[in-house]
Amino acid sequence: MAERKQLHREFSEELSSLWRIAIAPSVWAIHFVASYGLAAVWCAKWSDATLLGDVSAWRVLICGASVVALGIIGWIGWKAWRQWDFLEDWDYTHPLATEEDRHEFLGHAAFLLAVLSAVGVIATTLPALLISTCT
Amino acid sequence: MCVRRRREWNTKSGAAPHDGGMKIRTVALAGALLALAACEGGPQSALAPAGTDAAQIARIFWVMLIAAAILWIALNGLFAFVTRIHPRPISRRIAETLIIGGGIVLPLILLGTLLTWGLRAMPDQRAPGDGLTVRVGGEQWWWRVEYLPADGGPPVRSANEVRLPAGLRTDIELSAALVIHSFWIPALGGKMDMIPGRVNRMSLAPTEPGTYRGQCAEFCGLSHALMALNAVVLPADEFDAWLSAEAAEADPPDGPGADLFAREGCGGCHAIRGTEWQAQVGPDLTHVGGRTSLAAGILPMTEEALAGWIRNPDAIKPGAEMPGYDHLSPEELTTLARWLMELT
Ligand code: HEC
Ligand SMILES: [Cu+2]
Repeated sequence: MAERKQLHREFSEELSSLWRIAIAPSVWAIHFVASYGLAAVWCAKWSDATLLGDVSAWRVLICGASVVALGIIGWIGWKAWRQWDFLEDWDYTHPLATEEDRHEFLGHAAFLLAVLSAVGVIATTLPALLISTCT
Repeated sequence: MCVRRRREWNTKSGAAPHDGGMKIRTVALAGALLALAACEGGPQSALAPAGTDAAQIARIFWVMLIAAAILWIALNGLFAFVTRIHPRPISRRIAETLIIGGGIVLPLILLGTLLTWGLRAMPDQRAPGDGLTVRVGGEQWWWRVEYLPADGGPPVRSANEVRLPAGLRTDIELSAALVIHSFWIPALGGKMDMIPGRVNRMSLAPTEPGTYRGQCAEFCGLSHALMALNAVVLPADEFDAWLSAEAAEADPPDGPGADLFAREGCGGCHAIRGTEWQAQVGPDLTHVGGRTSLAAGILPMTEEALAGWIRNPDAIKPGAEMPGYDHLSPEELTTLARWLMELT
């Protein structure tokens, strides 16, 4: 009974890590859908509207969303990097069923997913940066 | 032409069965390269650009190809090095540097650079034109074509052939009737889909006068492969002269040809401007005899081809939405064809 309690405590400690793992890819996914949806709807309805001088508004909005998304992903990535704790022991394998290994593994995974999500967000933004017109 | 060249090469390498595997591979590679080179002069080759846009695309193709080849050789060289030439354990540090550097950082930088560079070309491909707009509409399996002159004159209706002035950028507006098509003249520029219910814009800036071939590039039904068109690039002044001639009404000679056209009800589908026939179901025939090809790029514009087409379009283009007139005698068909040839 005591053993089960102990296990329960150990796993629930990692609950927040599990959430953290999902955040960066979710931000990427939301940013992706929002960018494509925004460009499609904006170009269909108000293609000529501009913001900030003569730049199309949808480009400004997408780039703004990218800055926010990259900010969130960067913050998650930094926390995950700390959790991985790589520089402390130069140890990136986590094969054991110990609290420490579980904790570092989840940090490692979250960090890699944050890097991937950042690349994804930048790739989604490139067309808005480089393709200047709706048509 | 390309296909013929490639066949010659195949027979050559096939004639020497005693060759070693290595030699056959070298010959095959040389053959492939030669076939590629042979294609370069063709009228429908993206590798023989005759316009600014196609030249840009060809440049992107070559740079990407060379970059890919370098990567391929480097990667396989590395494999050969660590498995054949120098098969020794390497330190963990070097291994990690290779994996992270060569597997993550290098591809990110390389692909990012190539992607950015490629994307930058896209706005150029639809840069605003110099005044002339050509509207092209996809039909099964032919093209409506309409010229909106730079001077704001009335639209000029034509079909199944696009003419463009060299040295100027022309706006192209693409639409479609019932199904998706794709407008592609490889020697002049990139391809763009034609979608029912919307207008897609692109522009073309041909530089070399000549006749190039385009092809519908999106499957659109039974005779999709037979939906082509010629693009004739003319020096700017010749183009202006041609467009005013194209804008003029037809002056069809009276006689048995016109009588046949009327009697057989061709005017129920086709328009000949300057006459009572104004239907828009099929291609505009006002200046059909002046086109460089018949039936959307698939037949020569000759009397025989015209007679054959009218007799049985379905035999030439399966599913074509024009009835056959095989009840007409050969003489009548020739008369009708000769009369159509005079509509220049
Ligand atoms: C039911 C409508 C219809 C009738 C009637 C009809 N056509 Fe057509 N015609 C078409 C269509 C549709 C096409 C395009 C077919 C394609 O290329 O897929 C066409 C194509 C042509 C072309 C080729 C045009 C080009 O640009 O190359 C010629 C020439 C032609 N028709 C002549 C005739 C003549 C002559 C008659 C009468 C004997 C006739 N047509 C009757 C519908 C019709
Ligand atoms: Cu097609």
